Amino acid sequence: MRLVPRLFVQSFSILAISAALALGVNAVRPDGPAPVFAAQSAVQLDKAGGEIGVKDAALLFITGRAVFLDARSQYEFQLGHVQGAISLPPREFASQYQDIKPLLAGKEAVIAYCDGDRCPLSHALAKHLRDAGVKNVYVMVNGWTLWQAEKLPIAKGMAPLSKPAQGGICKDCENK
Amino acid sequence: MQRLREQVSLVPWDAVEWTLRLLLAGIFFYACADKIIHPRDFASIVKSYHVLPDPFANLTALWLPWLELVLGVCLFTGFLRDGALALATGLLAAFWITLVVDYFRGINVACGCFTSSPEEAAPMLWYIGRDALLLALALLTVEARRRAGEPAQG
Repeated sequence: MRLVPRLFVQSFSILAISAALALGVNAVRPDGPAPVFAAQSAVQLDKAGGEIGVKDAALLFITGRAVFLDARSQYEFQLGHVQGAISLPPREFASQYQDIKPLLAGKEAVIAYCDGDRCPLSHALAKHLRDAGVKNVYVMVNGWTLWQAEKLPIAKGMAPLSKPAQGGICKDCENK
Repeated sequence: MQRLREQVSLVPWDAVEWTLRLLLAGIFFYACADKIIHPRDFASIVKSYHVLPDPFANLTALWLPWLELVLGVCLFTGFLRDGALALATGLLAAFWITLVVDYFRGINVACGCFTSSPEEAAPMLWYIGRDALLLALALLTVEARRRAGEPAQG
């Protein structure tokens, strides 16, 4: 074989052998990294759901990656709530969930909150959501108090349901 | 001139090529070991070069050490020798160019040439000089291979 075709064939063989070895060994080793790098996030969420801290929730809020569900009564919601949140008291879940369901799509986290360390409403709402098949549900314990204490964006009055809950600050983060 | 040619032809290019090739193989064996063991650390070094889009950093970090290993085996055994020599030279040239580009961009990186530890911090000019020597060694091996093969081709 002439030199140039030989170089191509041999080089390609070496590249193919090494690629097969690299990917093959990485597939079986337990500590191998994913072949395609996924951008790391400062917010490490448990995929099984659970609780979320106000700092992580705020970060998701800023970048518009979460939808906030207010589990308190509509009266309390009107007095003040997380900006862009949707009112969904657990006892009204059955009647309102179908209207709210489209607004949850595509979000990294669905965050339920109420007020107080021992408030059961957010946990009850999270349970309803999980039972309805929503997987990325998180409870921000004592959410309303902590959100206000940190002077994070709030709103008052009743938000129309047709308006999706958007992140309050970073509107075009995904384009950066 | 004729005398010079005769003197040059006295050099046992076969032996020179064999020696240089083995040396190159040893360098590649040494270079790949730590990176194969610690792919995550090496991936973060690859990312720090800022020459590849992020999604390709892990793939490159996974592949490069194995490519070095296969190149080392080929250079050592002589299997797929010409392709291995060409790839080894190309790879060292690519490393050298990357280091030079990063130096002029003001990016200080842990080389990741022989270890995946980011603590192996040395001045960029040291890395560039060392890589230039390795590239020169590869080019010399290619030249020795060419000269060793001349009589057979002629």
